[in-house]
Amino acid sequence: MAVEILKEKYRSKVGEVVLGATKEQGGTRSHTITVGGESTLPFLHFEGEVPHRPVVAMEILDMAPEDWHPCFKQYFGDVYDDPAAWAKKCVEQYGADLIQIRLRSADPDFKDSSPEDCAAVVKKVLEAVGVPLIVIGCGKPEKDSTIFPVVAEAAAGENLLLGVAELENYKAITSACMAHQHNIIAQSPIDINICKQLNILIAEMSTAMVNRIVIDPTIAALGYGIEYSYSIMERASNGALQGDKMLAMPMIGNIGAEAWRAKEANISAEDEPGWGEQEERGIMWESTTAMAYLQSGMNILVMRHPRSVELIKGQIDDLMKDNSY
Amino acid sequence: MGLTGLEIFKHLPKTNCKECGSPTCLAFAMALASGKASLDACPYVSEEAKAALDSASAPPIKLVKVGAGDHAVELGDETELFRHDKRFFHPTSIAVLISDTEDAAASAELFDALEFDRVGLHYVTDMVAVQCASGDAAKFKAAVEAVAGKTQKAMILIAEDPAVMEAALPAVKDRNPLVYAANAGNYEKMVELAKANNCPLAVKGKDLNETAELVEKIVALGYKELVLDSGARETSKVLADLTQMRRLAVRKKYRPFGYPTIAFTSKENAQEEILQAGVYVSKYASIVVLKAREKQQLLPLLAWRQNLFTDPQKPIAVEPKLYDVGEPDENSPVYVTTNFSLTYFIVEGEVEGSRIPSRILSVDTGGVSVLTAYADNKFSAETIAAAMKKAGLDEKVKHRQIVIPGHVAVLKGALEEASGWEVLVGPREASGIPKFAKERFA
Amino acid sequence: MIIIGERINGMFKDIARAIKEKDAKVIQEWARKQEENGAHYLDINVGPSSPAPVEAMKWLVEVTQEVTDLPLCLDSTKYDAIEEGLKLCKRPAMINSVPAIQSKMERVFSMAAQYDAEVIGLAMSEEGIPKDADSRVALAAELVANAMAFDISPDRLYIDPLVLPCNVAQDHGPEVLRTLREIKLISDPSPKTVVGLSNVSQGTKNRELINRVFAVMAMSHGLDAGIVDACDDELMAAVATARILLNMDIYCDSYIDVFKKSNR
Repeated sequence: MAVEILKEKYRSKVGEVVLGATKEQGGTRSHTITVGGESTLPFLHFEGEVPHRPVVAMEILDMAPEDWHPCFKQYFGDVYDDPAAWAKKCVEQYGADLIQIRLRSADPDFKDSSPEDCAAVVKKVLEAVGVPLIVIGCGKPEKDSTIFPVVAEAAAGENLLLGVAELENYKAITSACMAHQHNIIAQSPIDINICKQLNILIAEMSTAMVNRIVIDPTIAALGYGIEYSYSIMERASNGALQGDKMLAMPMIGNIGAEAWRAKEANISAEDEPGWGEQEERGIMWESTTAMAYLQSGMNILVMRHPRSVELIKGQIDDLMKDNSY
Repeated sequence: MGLTGLEIFKHLPKTNCKECGSPTCLAFAMALASGKASLDACPYVSEEAKAALDSASAPPIKLVKVGAGDHAVELGDETELFRHDKRFFHPTSIAVLISDTEDAAASAELFDALEFDRVGLHYVTDMVAVQCASGDAAKFKAAVEAVAGKTQKAMILIAEDPAVMEAALPAVKDRNPLVYAANAGNYEKMVELAKANNCPLAVKGKDLNETAELVEKIVALGYKELVLDSGARETSKVLADLTQMRRLAVRKKYRPFGYPTIAFTSKENAQEEILQAGVYVSKYASIVVLKAREKQQLLPLLAWRQNLFTDPQKPIAVEPKLYDVGEPDENSPVYVTTNFSLTYFIVEGEVEGSRIPSRILSVDTGGVSVLTAYADNKFSAETIAAAMKKAGLDEKVKHRQIVIPGHVAVLKGALEEASGWEVLVGPREASGIPKFAKERFA
Repeated sequence: MIIIGERINGMFKDIARAIKEKDAKVIQEWARKQEENGAHYLDINVGPSSPAPVEAMKWLVEVTQEVTDLPLCLDSTKYDAIEEGLKLCKRPAMINSVPAIQSKMERVFSMAAQYDAEVIGLAMSEEGIPKDADSRVALAAELVANAMAFDISPDRLYIDPLVLPCNVAQDHGPEVLRTLREIKLISDPSPKTVVGLSNVSQGTKNRELINRVFAVMAMSHGLDAGIVDACDDELMAAVATARILLNMDIYCDSYIDVFKKSNR
């Protein structure tokens, strides 16, 4: 007796976004990375295409991260003060598909670095590695709106992914992306309605931007509301497949930063003996968070611990294996 | 969804005799499909048709119990493909594998201690699987009994040789273990054993087709306490099979897959195994059997299970109390918010981001957000003042200032009166807290 | 709701004149306008008094397809005209329509299978339009069973329960709504449903208001498609809003614009 395999007939698919540009394309990347394009739910190869595997970006900062758990020192301690070397190590030693640099030093509460300083750091990182780059501002909208135009111009042609644009302040960053042809991260606060509206507003500024938007639904870590963002992403993916073009963008999430904020990742075994050894617990907290988001349709996972990255890349290999009947 | 009109029509005599009161058999079938008529009205319907129509009214996935007493686990009885459509009901059981070639008693003792307390919740690994790796019936029996002596949790007995299973099962049958597994070669004997000992039975095919076939044969033998294993072991294949079984059962009411499912990890490395198990927890397995045993490995998996199986309709609450962020002292600022977990965690994250040690008073609002609670009068001057008193704020800080969410600025006057404290109106959105804190408290 | 734009119909004087004078501009103007306002299909009807319906249908199909890629819904009681039109359609079209009468079902379903067309089936027989829902549903089931005999999947069939003007047949209203729900119980996949919306308001005052209210009520009973005035902005806004309230689309502040653009 043959089981009649049930395949969904979806009307549409998730859009594709290309990151980075090679020399021929006007940039200096050794290769580009395409994300999105899936015409089914995550890894259901038996009923649709998953043309591009999800990718893992490793997270670096433009200054030493005093708030990271000391267990990271053994991996990055020697390069904390040199973003270019840090990026290089992530790519060459730890297999990062791409690099996300956060311009934390621009924060007026930290070093208040100038837009020109930020652009110089981005240029240095671009010189150090060949992978496409994600550049995130310091998180203070007033300051970020001064940084983006300068960074976008300095890196013109590199087809960066710049973030983040939020409902209250998307215009400056969108303009910067439009002017110098970069991609944009549209971030909404765990709210699918705002997510959709923000995409519409960016698209209204320029229809060409539709294929340059990556959604950041604002993810929560395991144990801290992960199920909310998981369900929002599942709804968005379903919407995209059913033809909702304003939700049909690839998705990105700051998994490392969120997971490593959790008490469960950081507290020592002495202080919480019931939970086992700290570093492995942190690695598993981060990679389990990533595992869940792979299952809800995330395309770009921004991660922190080298072992988590290795684990999740291994799982992506497994999930990308054909399972058609 | 029950049977459609055309499916019912197939079982009717198609004589259009009108004795049921409907003009045609098709019209009668439609009346049945919409619940307006009863099958009794047709004098000519066959017994088979009656049976077919009856089984269509059963739930899409059967509820199966494994284990006994307080440690019994309920599996199956799911109705959704996505938790946002309603909810997932019965959390995946996590089973730790113990082999009869190891010191089973010692391993069982360690297993039994795998319990965790986190954010006021208690997580447990709820099953233990004892596997016959020795091929020796006496050894297996000894291991099963040793494990049973060390833990009261639900058991899975893994031995595909009926003779081996027969040696071990009777001794622990009162524990209602899952008998693993009936396959194409042994199913008649395994069904007999499961029936004689009144225990649930796992059915293992080599693929979906063979699994469905086996289920039909076993159901024909009169046994329905089943748990299904499609035989797949590669992550991607298991994901596909589990998805198909759930979809066909829920969407098509395909009876052979209307049972709970069991999946096994195949990875040797414990960390990889946890992530593999995580995929199966996410996508529809009722039981996942794995080898990982370390606390720091299992805690994240159990946390994911707990998160996934929460009811999306029901807001999740944090314990209403006074929380410390960083190491606050008697001069540190105090924020007040609700005990809706998402609100609380967002506020906590932003307060932490302000890098000023602080306290957050989480008021019991039944787990709803600031504006909803305000509208319901659960977040009012009275409830906040009462929570301040209960938390002993008076003794913990020297100052007399408290920050309320900007959305309920209107409470300022009443709260100042009720508490005697100065009320500062904070930002409307939590994202404004770092800036607010820097201006007020830095 | 799938919007089938009703405007290219010889019942309208400007269309009748355009057909007669072979004035493609009028037809194309309406095609464009309906598409811009969110139509997913365009109904093509040569009108009741066309002297040469086959030729008129062919011409309408051709000139319409010059300006739009939308699929067409060929609307005629003359099946030869539909067949000639189908031959010219660049994308799979919809046949409008067939009643539950054996000889007609055979003709239309074999044609639909040949040209990979969807079909609108009318819940009526030789005896006319039944009043009650049960009889309408039984006729719908006949249509589904016959379509399946031609290997046409039920979800390629749109059942029209047949709406009558509310000023002459008010008692049909609730029966039609009940029919819409129960048609979904016929098969899996279930057939789709469609109504010719303007019928409900024939000969009344407040035609637009009645159309809009009925569209929303029918949607809440599961209606899938409507042959409607796609240029009625208020109607389109009501449909977009009903989709939000029925949780069919994900809300955002610009949801009406998004709905209108959803056919592109």
